[in-house]
Amino acid sequence: MAPAERCTVCRQTFFCGRGHVYSRKHQRQLKVALERLLPQVEAARKAVRAAQVERFVPEHERCCWCLCCGCEVRKHLSHGNLTVLHGGLLEHLASPEHKKATNRFWWENKAEFQMKEKFLISPQDYARFKKSMVKSLDSYEEKEDEVIKEMAAQIREVEHSRQEVVRSVLEPQTVPDPEEGSSAPGSWNGTNSQVASTSQQPSYVDLPPAPELDWMETGQPLTFIGHQDTPGIGNIHSGATPPWMVQDEDCSSGNQQIGPSYEEFLKEKEKQKLKKLPPDRVGANFDHNSSTSAGWLPSFGRVWNNGRRWQSRHQFKTEAAARNKQQPRRKKS
Amino acid sequence: MSFLLPKLSSKKEVDQAIKSTAEKVLVLRFGRDEDPVCLQLDDILSKTSSDLSKMAAIYLVDVDQTPVYTHYFDISYIPSTVFFFNGQHMKVDYGSPDHTKFVGSFKTKQDFIDLIEVIYRGAMRGKLIVQSPIDPKNIPKYDLLYQDI
Repeated sequence: MAPAERCTVCRQTFFCGRGHVYSRKHQRQLKVALERLLPQVEAARKAVRAAQVERFVPEHERCCWCLCCGCEVRKHLSHGNLTVLHGGLLEHLASPEHKKATNRFWWENKAEFQMKEKFLISPQDYARFKKSMVKSLDSYEEKEDEVIKEMAAQIREVEHSRQEVVRSVLEPQTVPDPEEGSSAPGSWNGTNSQVASTSQQPSYVDLPPAPELDWMETGQPLTFIGHQDTPGIGNIHSGATPPWMVQDEDCSSGNQQIGPSYEEFLKEKEKQKLKKLPPDRVGANFDHNSSTSAGWLPSFGRVWNNGRRWQSRHQFKTEAAARNKQQPRRKKS
Repeated sequence: MSFLLPKLSSKKEVDQAIKSTAEKVLVLRFGRDEDPVCLQLDDILSKTSSDLSKMAAIYLVDVDQTPVYTHYFDISYIPSTVFFFNGQHMKVDYGSPDHTKFVGSFKTKQDFIDLIEVIYRGAMRGKLIVQSPIDPKNIPKYDLLYQDI
């Protein structure tokens, strides 16, 4: 028997020595593994022609397992907040160590010779990839600049419309004070409709105030009953004592008894009684001082117990009653 | 509608109501009976008062007859509704500037019922301020003016 050897492709130990590699199972496993790796390599190969640059996303940190070298390889190449798709894999595939490892892998596992080429990237291809990468980086930067310029223009627009609103509000400042309270909602409504008609831009400032005031305005505005602030006396916001806590003059001190009155005491006693469980109840919190009756045993003498305890208890009680009725009758007669 | 709800007309009566309502939310509506928005609110209060009878006691207070309370609660807009539980004033965050009272009328009966339930639950758990369940769209807006600013 040959010594035990482990095949990494089949992930199994085998004792056949060199013969294992030619077995059907091994070849099948090998084919499956290579098929798994092939799409990744193909995607990387496509990227040689047209390299893509994207903004960095944590998903770009994914790694790919290279079967030939037996190591994990970063799939995408990222630097700062940009990523070149499939850059990492390409770099690895083009390296000479990978070439050597691939050759060894093919020789050891006796895979098909034609397939080997597909898993290698030549240095020329790699150089071509580098060139296209530079080009796509430039175009990406241009695109980013454009987006930033667009955003700046939008912000400028919004700022402009905001200025307009502020200006139009500051104009009607001549309304006298006492009417300010009740007409304040009214004037807001007026200025808002003005602004809505003048500025056509889709600024978000206009839309929320109009529907918000709608529900309130369709009713009547709230009646204003004057400022409730005499400076000497405090109110709830300043933390003064509430009027119901203030001792009144007409309440004599004899009436003021601290603690519950007699009726309240009786009520408390009743509540306490309800808290206690019935004394005959058997179970948790059993009152050990209660007297026990004849029916204290948990079983009522039934043999084939079926159903709840209450039912057997009920039956026992009716039988006991019937028995008691019979006994005095017999005694009499 | 306002004749269906009990009214309190003096400071003593209000004191009495606050101190004696036990285990129920006390709702005091401060306002005037003739005011239109007060009428709306009173309508909602009276229609829900029987459903909420186990959870809440509702009273109407005239602001002109109890100047002490009007001043203490800083009632500038009517109707204003103040909530108590076991003699403790309950604050509610409606999303409006004043948490001590509800200014204006409720939009639907369900809003009021939800609010009472939230206050009741919060108070039973020992909270002094609760978050209002009413949609901020349905809360009437008012300007909280101070010293003629």
